[in-house]
Amino acid sequence: MALAYRLLHMLKPNQTEASTAELIAHWQEKPAPLLGLLHALHDRDGYLSDESLRAVSEGLPIPLADLYATVTFYHHFARTPPGQRAPRVCTGPICSQRGARDVLHALDDAREMPCAGRCDHPSPVLVGQQVFTAASDATLTPIPSPLPPINPSAYEECLFAHIRDAGRHTMAGYRASGGYRGLEKALQKTPGDLLALLEESRLAGRGGAGFPTGQKWRAVSEATGSPKFVVCNADEGEPGCFKDRALLDHDLHALIEGMILAAYATGATSGFIYLRYEYPETLDRLETALEEARSDGLLGRQIGGKDFHFDLCIRRGAGAYICGEEGSLLNSLEGKHPYPRNRPPFPVTHGFNDCPTAVNNVETLAAVGPIVARGAEWYRNLGLGENAGTKLISLSGDVRRPGNYEVPLGLPLQTLLNDWAGGPLPGRQIQAVTMAGLSGGFLAEKDLEVTLDDPSIRACGSFLGAGGIMVFDDRRDMVDVAAQAMHFFADESCGKCFPCRIGTQRLSERLSGTDGPSAWTDWQSEVEDIGSAMASTSACGLGVAAPHITQSLLKYFPSQIQRHLANQQDLP
Amino acid sequence: MIQKSTTLTIDGAEVAFTEGETLYEVAQRARRPIPTLCYDPRLEPFGSCRLCVVQVEGVRNPVASCTTPAAAGMVVHTSTEAIEHHRTTLLELVVSENRQVDVDPLRGYASQELTTLVDRYQARTGRFAGAQSGTSHSEDDNPFILRDYDLCISCNRCVRVCAEREGDYAIAAGGRGFQKQITTEFDSILKDSSCTFCGQCVQTCPTGALADKKALRAADIEEPIEKTRSVCPYCGVGCAVDLMTKGEQLVGIQPAMDGPANEGALCVKGQFAFDFVQHRDRLKQPLVRGVDGQLHETDWDTALDRAAEGFRQVADKHGRHAIYGVASGRTPSEADYCMQKFIRRGYGTHYIDNCSRA
Amino acid sequence: MSNPLVDMEKPDVIFCIGTNMTECHPVAATRLKKAVANGAKLIVADPRRIALAEMSDLYLPLRVGSDVALLLGMAHVIEREGLVDDAFMHERTAGFEEYLEHVRQFTPQWAESITGVPAADIEQAARWYGAAERGAIYYTLGITEHICGVDNVQSLCNLALMTGHIGREGTGINPMRGQNNIQGAGDAGAVPSNYPGFQAVDQPDNQAKFEKLYGRPMDAEKGITKVRALEGAGEHIFAMLIDGENTLVSDPDRKHCERALNALEHLVVIDIFLTETAELADVVFPATSWAETDGVSTNTERRIQRLRQAVPPPGQAKPDWWIISQIAQRLGFDGFEYSSAKDVFNELCSLSPIYAGLDWDRIEHGQYQWPVPHKDHPGTPILHQGEFKNGRGLFKVISYRDPAETISEEFPIWLTTGRRLQSYHTRTQTGRAQGIEYLLSEERLEIHPEDIASWGLKDGQWCRLSSARGSVEICVRATDRSPRGTVFASFSFNDVPINILTGSGYDPITETAELKVCPVRIEAL
Repeated sequence: MALAYRLLHMLKPNQTEASTAELIAHWQEKPAPLLGLLHALHDRDGYLSDESLRAVSEGLPIPLADLYATVTFYHHFARTPPGQRAPRVCTGPICSQRGARDVLHALDDAREMPCAGRCDHPSPVLVGQQVFTAASDATLTPIPSPLPPINPSAYEECLFAHIRDAGRHTMAGYRASGGYRGLEKALQKTPGDLLALLEESRLAGRGGAGFPTGQKWRAVSEATGSPKFVVCNADEGEPGCFKDRALLDHDLHALIEGMILAAYATGATSGFIYLRYEYPETLDRLETALEEARSDGLLGRQIGGKDFHFDLCIRRGAGAYICGEEGSLLNSLEGKHPYPRNRPPFPVTHGFNDCPTAVNNVETLAAVGPIVARGAEWYRNLGLGENAGTKLISLSGDVRRPGNYEVPLGLPLQTLLNDWAGGPLPGRQIQAVTMAGLSGGFLAEKDLEVTLDDPSIRACGSFLGAGGIMVFDDRRDMVDVAAQAMHFFADESCGKCFPCRIGTQRLSERLSGTDGPSAWTDWQSEVEDIGSAMASTSACGLGVAAPHITQSLLKYFPSQIQRHLANQQDLP
Repeated sequence: MIQKSTTLTIDGAEVAFTEGETLYEVAQRARRPIPTLCYDPRLEPFGSCRLCVVQVEGVRNPVASCTTPAAAGMVVHTSTEAIEHHRTTLLELVVSENRQVDVDPLRGYASQELTTLVDRYQARTGRFAGAQSGTSHSEDDNPFILRDYDLCISCNRCVRVCAEREGDYAIAAGGRGFQKQITTEFDSILKDSSCTFCGQCVQTCPTGALADKKALRAADIEEPIEKTRSVCPYCGVGCAVDLMTKGEQLVGIQPAMDGPANEGALCVKGQFAFDFVQHRDRLKQPLVRGVDGQLHETDWDTALDRAAEGFRQVADKHGRHAIYGVASGRTPSEADYCMQKFIRRGYGTHYIDNCSRA
Repeated sequence: MSNPLVDMEKPDVIFCIGTNMTECHPVAATRLKKAVANGAKLIVADPRRIALAEMSDLYLPLRVGSDVALLLGMAHVIEREGLVDDAFMHERTAGFEEYLEHVRQFTPQWAESITGVPAADIEQAARWYGAAERGAIYYTLGITEHICGVDNVQSLCNLALMTGHIGREGTGINPMRGQNNIQGAGDAGAVPSNYPGFQAVDQPDNQAKFEKLYGRPMDAEKGITKVRALEGAGEHIFAMLIDGENTLVSDPDRKHCERALNALEHLVVIDIFLTETAELADVVFPATSWAETDGVSTNTERRIQRLRQAVPPPGQAKPDWWIISQIAQRLGFDGFEYSSAKDVFNELCSLSPIYAGLDWDRIEHGQYQWPVPHKDHPGTPILHQGEFKNGRGLFKVISYRDPAETISEEFPIWLTTGRRLQSYHTRTQTGRAQGIEYLLSEERLEIHPEDIASWGLKDGQWCRLSSARGSVEICVRATDRSPRGTVFASFSFNDVPINILTGSGYDPITETAELKVCPVRIEAL
C-alpha cells in the first residue's frame, strides 16, 4: 500500500482555502509578489494549474509565456497532481551513497531532488511542507535539523558561540545570551562609524565570493538611487553545504540583527530573505522571529527611537541552484526569469528593482552583530596568522563526525578532518575531499595538506567557497562521483550562456560514458578544451567553477578515468 | 545632451568612444571582426553566446564585449590566441547540438550567421558528440513560421525580439540548462498563443531554426536569390522591405534592418501576404465590354482608343464637368500625379479625388 | 503626422483615440509599446476594448460618436486646473480666450452623460495629458469617419494647442494613414481642393501658375468630392476613370454605389485584379502591381521612399502612369510624353513647393520627410516647430452633435466598423495570399457575451444585421472586446458586405462617410 498515502495524513493541512482572486488581491500589493503568490497557489492545490497561471498572468500582470517559462525553470513547481504532495528524495552526492536511491524506489510517486542541505543527517525527504529523514527501510521520521557538534577545539567561536544555548532561536533566548547588544551599540553610533568598524574587522563575503563586506555596504550607502535594499541570500543550494541552515534554524535572530545593522549602515529601508525551498520548517521559524522582532520595535518605523525605518520579508525560492547567484536571485525576486545578470552594473548600484542593494550571505550577516558587540579587533584575531575571522565548514561524507564546524581561517584541513571530526571511518583512508561543496572540485594526495583559507586552497587550483567539504574514502569511485557532480551542474545550469549550457552537458556525458570518445587522448583533449572554454568564458560562477571537477579529476585520478574508458570499450 | 568622449586601446590602436557605448560597439567602429551569435544591434545586449569575449588587461577572465561598457584607459585585446581557441571550442560545441550547419538562406535574414562563423573558424563538425538539444514542432501547422528547433542554439534572439521589438511576448525560454526550449504559453502552437506572425523572430534567427515557410516553397528553384529594396504595399507606416526573387518569381520578403520607418520590423501582412502579386487572378490583358454586355480581352490600342473615345463623347455631350477621376492611395505617386493632371490638364476642372474618404 | 515615427518612443503621456493601432498600423504600434515599457503613460479612448486598451494605464470606453464631448470635458479640466500652457498660447496661437470661455460650460460630469465614460477618468486623462512634459496624440479613422470628423480633429488640435504639445520632439497631432500611399495621393494633388503640394485651387496665384504650366484655363473653384460625384452619377457626372480602388466594396452604402456606377455612360477602371468595381467597367486596364514597377510613395510621417521593380509584370500589364498618359495622349492632351516614372516624379517635384528640394535620385535612401523646400534643406521630421504654417495656431469653438442616426426602437444597437490585423481592406490582396485564411477565414460580428445571451443569440450562430439601408447575414462571435450595446464587424469580406448597412451621413466639410456609427437591428437566423 502506498506509503505516500499514509504520509499525507501525517502532513499539516493546507494552510489556505482562499480563492485565486483573493490570493492575487493579497499579493498584488506586496513587494516582489510573484514567488509568494505562486507558492500560495502551489501550496493550496499542490501544483500550479493552467487556470492559476492564467489568473496570475492577468493579475500581476506578467506575460503568460514568460510566466509559464519561468515556472518550468524551478525544480519544485509542479504542474500536475500530486505535485508537491509527492515525496521528493535528496539524491545529492552524500545521500546517494547512503541509500537514497533505495528510498526513492520504495516510495510511491517519489521524485529526485538535488542536495537538500541535510548531508549531516542523510537522507532528507520532502513531502508537502515537511522534511523527513528516511531510514534505510524507507520509513520517514520528522527530525529537526541537527545542531553543530560541541566545539571540539580551544579556538573561540563567533557564530556558533551561543547557537547551542537552549531557546536561542527565540527572542528571549537570543537576548539572554547577549543578542541585539550589537544593534543597541551600533544605534549609538553613526552609520559611518559602523562602516568603518566593519572595514576594520576585515569581514568578507562568506557565501563564497569573499568580497569585503564593509566595502560593499559603503558602496550601497554612497549609491545615489533610492530606495535601498538589503537582501539576504539564504538560497543555500551548493551540494554539501548546510551551514546556513544551522544558523537559520537555531540562531535566526543573529541573521535578523545582521540585516538590521546592514540597513542602518547602508540606508536601506526594506529587506528580503530569499530562502531556499527545501527548508520549509525554517520558513515557519523565520516568520515567527520576524514577528517577535516587529513587536519588540526592532523592525518597522523609528527603530531604537531614531529616524531609522526598516522592515523585511521572506521570499521562498522554488528549487534552482542558480538562484544562489546574486543576479539570478534578484531576477527571481523580481518575478523575472532567473538568469544571472550581466555585470556591470553591480547590485550595489543596480540591484533589486534597479535600486542600490546589499546582497549578503546568511553567515556574513550573522557575524555582524557579534563584531559590533565585541569589536573589530576581536573578530580579526579569531583567524590564524594573516587570516581574519572564522568560517563555517559543512563537513560530510566519509568521516566519523560530520556536521557544521566553525573554524578559524587558516586551520589545517587535516586538523579538521582528523582531530575535530574523528578522521576516516574504521579501516578506511581518505581518498579525496571536495572544496566549496562541489564547485571547487577535488583535493587529494599532498593537496590535502592545505590550510582552510583562500590563498592556500587557490594555490592548489581550487577555492574555499561557501565552505562545504565532502569526504570520499578509498571505497569510492571518483569518476562516478565526478559524473554525478557534473550531472548536478548540467541539471542546474540555467541555460543562458553557451559554454555552460552545452559544456556541462558534454562533460556530464563524457564522465558517465554515455557519449564522447573512448580513446584517452581524444577524451582528454575534448574535456580539457571544454573545461578551459567554460572556465574562461562562462557568464557566471556556475560555468566557471564546474570544470574544477574535471580538471581536478584529470589531475589526481587519471588512471581511474582510463580504467573507466577501458571498461566502456569492453562493453559490447 | 553632449556626451563626453574619451579613449581606450583596442588591439594597439587608440579609439575614442562615448559614454554608454559597449566594448563591442567601439570595436565595431574600429573594424575589429569580433564574432557573435546572440547579438542583434536592435536588441538589448544579452551576453549568452560568449563568442564576443575579449581580454581586458588587468581583468582575470575574458569579458563579453557586448555587455561590457567601455571605460577610459582600458587596454583591450580582441583576438588573442587563447580567445580564438575558446571561440573555436564554443563554435564546435554549438555545432554539436545542431542537426546541420548548412541552411537555406531563404529561411531568414540572419539564417547564415552560424554557417558563416563555422567556416571562418573552420570549426570541426563531429567533435563533442552528444545529445541534441532542440525539439522541432512539426505539429505546428501554421503556414508561415517553421519551428525547426533541431537547429536552435538557444541564443534567445527570437524571445528578445518578440518582447523588446514587437511587444507580443508570445514566446519565452522554458526549462533550463541543456533542456531549455523556446516555448509558448503552455507549449501551445503559435496560433493559440499571443503570436501575431510578424515574422521578426524568423528574421533574427542566426541558424534558420525559425524559418519562413512561404519562402522555403522556392527552395528547389535553382536560380540565385536576388534582393530588391522597396516599401511594403499595405498600411501607411511605410516599412522598407527587400523583395526576394529567384529569376522572375517573387519568393519572399525580408524587412530592411535599416528601414527608416520600421528598423527591421514588419507585420503579418507585410511579411507574408506578398503572393497576390503573382496570383493567377491577375489581369494580364486589357478588357473591353462587347455588344454582348460581357468583358472581352483585347489589345492595348483597341482598349486605349475605346477608353479615350468614351471620354471624348461624354465631354462633347455633357461638358467637361461630366468627367471624374478617382486616384488611388495604393499606387505610386506618379499614378496619382498623372490622374490629377489628366483631369486638370484635360478638362480644366478639379473633379478629382482619391480613396482617402473610405 | 506632425511628428516622425521615431518620436512615438519619446512621449511621457500618449493619448490614442479612435485608433486600433496594433491591428491597423502594427509596426507603428511596436514603438508605442516600447514607450509604454519605458514608463510612458498610455491613455486609450475607444468604444471597443481593443489590444491597445488592454495595455493602457487608463481606458476611456466612450460611446461611438461621442468624441467631441469627451474632448470638451478634457479641455474643461485642463482649463479649470490651470494646466494650460499660457506662454505657448500667447506666443503661438489665436482665439484662445473665446475657446477657454467656451469649454468652461462642459464639465466632465456633462461629458460623462454623453460619452458614458466616468467623469473621474476624464479628469485623470486630462490631468495626465495636460501636465505631461511631452504629450502626444495618435488617431486614425475612428476620429475622421464621422459626420463630425473635422470637429473631432479640430478638438484634438485644440487640446494640443492649449497644452503646447506640438512642434516639439515626442509631441504632436498624429493621424496614422491607412494606405501605403494615401499621403502621396494627396501630395500629388489627387484631391478636389489642391493642386500638387497642397497648393489651394482657389488661390489666384496657384491658378495662374498651373494655367501656365498646363497651358489651359483652370476652374477657380474647388472640385467635388468622390462622394458627391457618385451622388451625381447619371445626373451631371457621366464618365469616371478609377485607378486602383474597389469603390463598390470599400465605400459606404453599396447599393447606392452600384446604382451610381451603373448610371455612368463611360467607366474605365485600372486595376491589378478584376474587382467587383472593374466588373462594371466599359474598359479595364491591367496595371502593374507593387513589386513590378518603379515609383515613389509617401508614408504617414511624410517620408518619401522609392518603390522598385523586382519582377516582370504578368502578361501585358503596364504601369498606371503609362496607362493614364496613353489615354491622355489619345485625347490629344499634351504634356504626357513621359518615358519613365522618374520623368513623372521629377515633374511633380518641379511644381510642388514641399518637394522642391527633391528629385528621383535624391530620395534613393528614403531619408527625406517633407516639406523639403530647397536642395540644401534636410527635410522636416517635426512640423510646426517655432511657427505654424499660417502664422498662429487657431482655436476653433466646437460643440457636440449627435451622429447622423442614433439608436431607436427599430435599430436599437450601435454598429461600428473597422479593420483586422490579418486582412487588408477588401482583401483583393490579402485574400489572395496563401496562409492568411489560416488566421482569418471569415467575418464575424463581435458581440459582448451578455448581449448575446440577452438578445437570444448563441456564439457561432448566424444572424441578420439590418440598418435603414439594407441587411447582411453574418455569424456571431462572443467577445468582451465589444461593449454592451455595440457590435463590430470589418468590411473586408465580400460575402459579408457590411457597407450595405453604412452611409448614414457624411462630414459636411470632408464628405467622409460616418462609417464608424450605424444603428442596426439583429435577428437570429
